[in-house]
Amino acid sequence: MAGNKGRGRAAYTFNIEAVGFSRGEKLPDVVLKPPPLFPDTDYKPVPLRTGEGEDYMLALKQELRETMKRMPYFMETPEEKQDIERYSKRYMKVYKEEWIPDWRRLPREMMPTKKCKKAGPKSKKAKVTGQGTSLTNPADVLKKIEELEKRGDGEKSDEENEEKEGSKEKSKEGDDDEEDDAAEQEEYDEEEQEEENDYINSYFEDGDDFGADSDDNMDEATY
Amino acid sequence: MEQPRGKTGWTEVTEPGPGRPGFGASDRRPRAAALRLLSTMTQAEIKLCSLLLQEHFGEIVEKIGVHLIRTGSQPLRVIAHDTGTSLDQVKKALCVLIQHNLVIYQVHKRGVVEYEAQCSRVLRMLRYPRYIYTAKTLYSDTGELIVEELLLNGKMTMSAVVKKVADRLTETMEDGKTMDYAEVSNTFVRLADTHFVQRCPFVPATENSDPGPPPPAPTLVINEKDMYLVPKLSLIGKGKRRRSSDEDATGEPKAKRPKHTADNKEPIPDDGIYWQANLDRFHQHFRDQGIVSAVANRMDQTSSEIVRTMLRMSEITTPSNAPFTQPLSSNEIFRSLPVGYNISKQVLDQYLTLLADDPLEFVGKSGDSGGGMYVINLHKALGSLATATLESVVQERFGSRCARIFRLVLQKKHLEQKQVEDFAMIPAKEAKDMLYKMLSENFISLQEIPKTPDHAPSRTFYLYTVNILSAARMLLHRCYKSIANLIERRQFETKENKRLLEKSQRVEAIIASMQATGAEEAQLQEIEEMITAPERQQLETLKRNVNKLDASEIQVDETIFLLESYIESTMKRQ
Repeated sequence: MAGNKGRGRAAYTFNIEAVGFSRGEKLPDVVLKPPPLFPDTDYKPVPLRTGEGEDYMLALKQELRETMKRMPYFMETPEEKQDIERYSKRYMKVYKEEWIPDWRRLPREMMPTKKCKKAGPKSKKAKVTGQGTSLTNPADVLKKIEELEKRGDGEKSDEENEEKEGSKEKSKEGDDDEEDDAAEQEEYDEEEQEEENDYINSYFEDGDDFGADSDDNMDEATY
Repeated sequence: MEQPRGKTGWTEVTEPGPGRPGFGASDRRPRAAALRLLSTMTQAEIKLCSLLLQEHFGEIVEKIGVHLIRTGSQPLRVIAHDTGTSLDQVKKALCVLIQHNLVIYQVHKRGVVEYEAQCSRVLRMLRYPRYIYTAKTLYSDTGELIVEELLLNGKMTMSAVVKKVADRLTETMEDGKTMDYAEVSNTFVRLADTHFVQRCPFVPATENSDPGPPPPAPTLVINEKDMYLVPKLSLIGKGKRRRSSDEDATGEPKAKRPKHTADNKEPIPDDGIYWQANLDRFHQHFRDQGIVSAVANRMDQTSSEIVRTMLRMSEITTPSNAPFTQPLSSNEIFRSLPVGYNISKQVLDQYLTLLADDPLEFVGKSGDSGGGMYVINLHKALGSLATATLESVVQERFGSRCARIFRLVLQKKHLEQKQVEDFAMIPAKEAKDMLYKMLSENFISLQEIPKTPDHAPSRTFYLYTVNILSAARMLLHRCYKSIANLIERRQFETKENKRLLEKSQRVEAIIASMQATGAEEAQLQEIEEMITAPERQQLETLKRNVNKLDASEIQVDETIFLLESYIESTMKRQ
């Protein structure tokens, strides 16, 4: 090993002169804090380039920033309440076009689970027949309920309903349900129970056990 | 302090993360993932990505995007769980990110789909203005708008682009004139032919004989020959002006949201064929621009034109990441010179010889047939550009004497302390000070050469050297930090003046609506005076500052491009 320190005195293991300090000279203080956040610079930075191209790109950049905020891809976070209602807010509302992705290019789990609005009879059912797992049954229930409501006490079978809806879907392009919140199973049941109707709250797909609590109009629901 | 990437830019994942087997919700990750090589993103890059995503897509998309960048590939439910976001919002955010080519998906075993962020692609958002402006210089306004729409929307069908661009161009034309779809289509085809736009991978058409359940996600494919194939469309029509009653400034806000109404009922002729901007092609163009302007600065206009011609000829024959172009004969170059360039063959030969002899080695001579075969040394050129950037930074930060020392060490490769003082002709104390300053900021590094096996410091040579690759990486990292600082400062300035900005916007909105309903000049004047003179001054200052910060961002991005190109080119050759 390099040996003891010389009787308690510090001895450098290298030639101190090589580093630039003469022997015996007081070494500079140890810095005990992080470097300053905004250090002084000895030299001022070079001014920015200017010119036609630069000006145009600057304008482009600022325009793009504004445009992006108005595009449907910009997902707004729900706003906190404004302190004062402003009259001019009315004139500054930007209506965003809706954007529907091309579902054929995306994984199937990307499709939002649907909760049907009462107002919208033609709610979109994802390609249920293949999938079978994620789509909620309540979605089917409400839709069927609405269909039946509309047709009064229709005698149509469920299969017929399903076919009709399937073909309607294929011809339709956009829909208004993109922004529905994901319907948790529990929340959904609550909402159903809130609705005033005579229909049963639970409904099962073909092949599952069907509870015997059917009401008058549910003769056809046994396939 | 953040570590810049290691030498190779790849690190094995050694520390536990949320995705490792045995940790938390991701137990189902296969063992192989533990050994997967991930490219590390430094904190600076992640911060910058976060700022960019937030500015362009909002906070929700930012949260999901940054999470994916940090943790790598993850399935849907894990993302929702780890970020504490609702499943529906995660889905929407992922749709947006996938649409803009920032996230890709992959189907793993047992049908689990995992999503992975393309970190470097997020950083490209800084460069959008440059892409669009380049399209403008090459293909004028029509090309500019085509590329802009593609960048803003991620991907679009050709018919959608043509229609949108025709409408936008019509808005800018005088009353009564409209832009024809055919003209826009032509420009689109030219962009495709020169590879500035390309087809996105698509869902292959499968026969429906497959009896099993459909896969959880489609596999997208594309092959080389289809990438620039324009579908045969007969797009007939003209751009439409937006009627003034549609504008929101006047009248009541609409009760219903505007939708894609009647047009959607028509079948889309090129349904499923999506196009995106080909960023690599733009990068190739920028690189060529950089080389040409470097030659122009170093030599003269004519030399740069010759180099430009050579690069143009090589566009199609040479892949963009090749170290040098295919050899071109002097005769070929002579024939391809732009019309109107009247230099004789001998003069051309002289120029070529000069270029080949230049120590920077942008052009090299590879043979004598055909009047002399010449190549452009792309990799060397990028190296020279990166080195010049480093030198310039040293000069501007530390002064010209420091720059002299830096260039000296670059040139001589390895120098001892004493030799530096002698060659640079700078007094010892100052030379030491400068060397240590550069050393502490990692522009220069120390190479130890031991004389004895025990590596005793008193018997070891310490040589100063410049490792261009690691210095370039260090500088790149600083650039990312700089831009993040610039963006934050800009947002801060905007936020500080938020009240004033909102007031000014409200006043403008009121004026606009009053103008539309035909108000008198005096009334408008009154409204305008709602903003006082000192407030106007404040707004002016704000605008000046924001402009400066924005312009700085754009110009730092140019440096980023140079350094990234050099690093990429070097890594490919290792």
